Formats: sequence, structure tokens, C-alpha cells
Amino acid sequence: MEKPFILHMLTTAKNLSPFDVNMAMDAGWVSAVPYINVEPSEVQGLVQDAIFSRSSKNLKRTGIFIGGRDTKQAMDMLKMAKRAMVPPFEVSVFADPSGAFTTAAGMVAAVERELLKNFNTTLTGKNVLALGGTGPVGQAAAVIAAQAGANVRIIGRQLEKAQHVADVCNDEFGDGKIKILAGADADKAEYIKTTDVVFATGAAGIELLSAELIATAAQLKVAADVNAVPPAGIAGVDAFHDGTKIENSVSGAVGIGALAIGNVKYQAQNRLLKKMIESDKPVYLHFEHAFEVAREYVKSKTQS
Amino acid sequence: MEKRSILHMLDPMPHNSPFDINMAMDAGFDVLMPYSNVKLESVHGLTQDAIFSRSPAGIKRTAIFVGGRDFALAMDMLSASQKAMVPPFEISVFADPSGAFTTAAALVACVAKQLKEKHNKELKDCKALIFGGTGPVGIATGVISSLAGAETTIIDHLSIETAEDIAHGYNRRFACSLIGGYAGTDIEKAKLIKSCDIIFCTAKAGIQVLNAGVLNAAINLKVVGDVNAVPPLGIEGIKRGDNGAPLQLALNSKGAVAVGALAIGDIKYQLQHSLIKEMLTTDKPLYLDFRDAFLKAQKILNL
Repeated sequence: MEKPFILHMLTTAKNLSPFDVNMAMDAGWVSAVPYINVEPSEVQGLVQDAIFSRSSKNLKRTGIFIGGRDTKQAMDMLKMAKRAMVPPFEVSVFADPSGAFTTAAGMVAAVERELLKNFNTTLTGKNVLALGGTGPVGQAAAVIAAQAGANVRIIGRQLEKAQHVADVCNDEFGDGKIKILAGADADKAEYIKTTDVVFATGAAGIELLSAELIATAAQLKVAADVNAVPPAGIAGVDAFHDGTKIENSVSGAVGIGALAIGNVKYQAQNRLLKKMIESDKPVYLHFEHAFEVAREYVKSKTQS
Repeated sequence: MEKRSILHMLDPMPHNSPFDINMAMDAGFDVLMPYSNVKLESVHGLTQDAIFSRSPAGIKRTAIFVGGRDFALAMDMLSASQKAMVPPFEISVFADPSGAFTTAAALVACVAKQLKEKHNKELKDCKALIFGGTGPVGIATGVISSLAGAETTIIDHLSIETAEDIAHGYNRRFACSLIGGYAGTDIEKAKLIKSCDIIFCTAKAGIQVLNAGVLNAAINLKVVGDVNAVPPLGIEGIKRGDNGAPLQLALNSKGAVAVGALAIGDIKYQLQHSLIKEMLTTDKPLYLDFRDAFLKAQKILNL
């Protein structure tokens, strides 16, 4: 008899995200087991406990999910989990802290689609402003866009914090191969003049980009906002917008709202959770893989 | 429709063991409910909560698993749960903290089998040393080995007091005859293993406890068993898959053989699997601990 699919779900927070639990079940995992308040130092022990109770054949039906709220911590835990494997006793691991990796991937993939559709161009060489970009989604989106060739600037209320986040993104997530810059929120009026793409990933209910500033964005092409709670993070972009022209834009920019992003995010997370089940050998998944599958999905929708 | 089977997994530690979760699922339980940070005082209430929501027919599809890292605490929780039953509202309970009961039972039984086959000896004829003897698997190995008649010393790598305290405590409670021992350096280890017949290695994964130089000191060694599956293994020269293979590095103990982690793990797996499964198939409630695990291990190995 085939063994049931078990996903061991680790989080450093005091609860798992019910979103992730639903996603895991819907992707085909039969049992989703929560481990809460997990310390990074406990990862090795938990992983080695999980891998030795099934034969290598049935380990294909076993997986580990890493949640939590902190991007760097989740990436560190993913690395620790990978290091703890004892081949052939090895299982797939997927890190998606706060769903930030798949949300960011969904947003960037949707932005790419709109760039191609409306401006016949790509992210390469584009100036991206990541507003409210110091949080988990902002960080992951900045790294994904930078890896796709964009010039990304993370904007935070405090320049110092934004700079620190940019450094972490470059060194930890980008292996030193990307150069994300930092900027202060107070200076965004200056930056917006030469911005091609805006990501708004701030806290819900805060307007990050006003209609006045949009009117000064001479080369703005796409603005994406993950916030679903009014007021919108970008004036004129509501949750339902999906490539909709932004009023006030002098450059014909289009907006992408939270629900359109959420749709791609859902598909990306679903596909990665399924990939863990379907893959023949263990996979270690994070924001890069999330972007790959988000792109695939967006492409398949555009073609059909 | 038959009710889905539920295993309530009680654990005094911050996390349930992923190992046990996999095992319980694979043994056929439909639904696993983890309860972590469970205190001994809560076991009574949790047990009664579990038994009263299903009819006596339904509660055959309900059981409790007790985990953790502590032998004595797991036994206390098992007995607290058993006492909380209100017949006919009664369910099976199986204690296997950190899988230590089934690992230790498999280890001791595998070593006993090699003793018999290769050296025509029984545990009661032998002196046994347990390195990593004060951890969960070490203590369980000690209690089982001592109750089976071997002169058993549990060795701590930091303090003789720790080892002696544990030995006295378990001797009082489980009527065994453990001796406490200490060895920190290679010289101390060599001195201890000089006259022993059996070495059980239950130290932390990924740590080599006995190197070739130390093994040279043993002149009576007959069987070694090592539960560590993560390289480097606990005893130099042993292989994970060994099951009675010569331990060639023990130069002064001709005929010494080794049992490695995968051979032990195979029996441990069968043990834990069948004990969990028994809770699903039994007609009347079972209360299972290290004794049941060792009996079953002996049966599996035809001892």
C-alpha cells in the first residue's frame, strides 16, 4: 500500500498560517503536522527525526515546509535542513515565510506580463522602486526583480534600515551577484521621476504612492500593490485591477492589484507544494523556484 | 461508516517527534493530533477528554501515544493515562519517548542474537557498557539489558555523579541493577572497555565515541551495537548496514562482531510499526512500554 503524504510544517511563530495549511491539503498532502515556536537550532534534529522513519522510496511522500515571518531566518533554516539530510535519507523542503516568497513571485511575474503586453519590454535594465520594501514580500520581490536584471531600490521610512535590508538581500539572497540600492521614503518624489516599475509592499491601509506623485512619474509603466485593504497602497490601483490603466499616469502606466497578484501567488504556492510530491529526487525550494513556476503559470495563461 | 482512527500524540517536549508522526501514519492511523508541552498533571484530563466523546465501539479507533525524551516521565504519563480510564470507556496507550523504547529493545535484541549465534552466550553471561548511557536511548538500553541479566554500566561523558544518580533512580523504580560510570578521555574509555563483552553505543548522532586505538584495549569484546546512523558513526570501523560483520579494528578481541544502525533500525521500525498497529487491531485496550517492545523484539528475532 502507498504511504500517505505527510508534510511536517515548521514555523518560528506561535501558530502556523492557516493559509499554508489549506494550501498544503489542497495540493495533495494528506497530513499536515504543525511544529510551532521552532528555534532554528532545532531544525537539524527535527529533520533527522523525520528522515529516518521511512524508506528512501517513501521519503518521496514526506516533506518539510518552513514558514515563520523572517525571510533570512527561513532561508537559514532551509539551508540547515538541507545540510541535515543524510542521503539517501533525504526529503524535499520548501521555505515560504509568511507566504512572502510566493506572493513576491506572483507580483513580479504579473509585472513582467504587463511590461511585455503593454510596452513590449522586459525587466532588464528597468528602474524598480520597492516602496515599503523592507518587509518579507518587499525583500523577496526586490531580489527576484534584481535577478531578472532590473535596477532595484528598496525604499523604507528610515534610510539606515532600508540600507541594511538591501545589504542582506544582496549578500544573503543574491550571493553577492545583485546590487539592490536603498532609499528613504522622504526622497521618493525624486526617485519616482525615473522609475519604470513600482512595487508597493507596505503595511495594509497605508498609501505609499499618491496621485500627485504618479503624475510626475514620466516613465512609469507598471505599478503593483499587494495591499488588499483600502486605502490602496498606490492611488488609483485597486485590489481588482489587473493590467488596468492608472488614472493620472502621464506615461500610460497600468496597475496590478492584490487579487490579481494573489491569483498568481496561489498558483505558484500550489505548484511548489505539488512539485515536492511529484519530484523524483529531493528539491529545496525558495523564492527563485517560486518565480520560475509563477512565470510558467503566467505564460501558460497568456498563450491560452 | 466506520469512524476514522485517531491517535492523540502527547509529548512533554516543545515538539512532537517527526519520526513518530511518520510511523503512526504509516501504521494506519487516519488522523494524528499532536499535543506538545504536555504536563504530567494534564494527562488525566486529556485522557478522559479523549475517551468520552466516542462510543465504546468508536473508542477502539482511538488511542494515545506518549512521546518525550524522558524514560521515567513517559512511564509516569503512561500510568497516569491508564489510571484515568473509566471502563468501558477505555483506549490503548503506547509510550515510546523519542522512540527510545523501541530503539533500545531492537538494539539489545540484535546484540543478544549475535551473542547467541557467534559466541553461544546469553546476556546474563556478559558485562555490558553503554556509551551515551545517560540519554533517552542509553537509559532504556540499560534498563532492558540489566533486566535481561547483563552486568550493565551506563556511561556518561561528563560526570560520574550524573551516571550514578540515574543508575540508582532507575534501579529503585524498575528493579534493575545498573552501575554508573564515567569516561571522558580515550584513556578512560580504554580502561573501561578492557574487560567488557558488549558495547552499546547510544551517543548523539554524528559523534565518534570509540576510535580504533580505544578498541584495541578490549580483550573480551564479543558484540558491539551502534544506533548512530549519521556519519561519523559512534564506533570506528562499524558500518551502518553491519549485522554480525566482524569488527576488525578490535584487534585484541578475535571474533568480535558489529551491529550497525540500519540493522537495528530495521528491527526498531518493525517493532514500533507493529506496536502502533496493535492499538488499532486489539479487542481490548493495551498499555505498551519498553517491556512489550523487548518481548516483541525477541519474538521477531526468534530468540
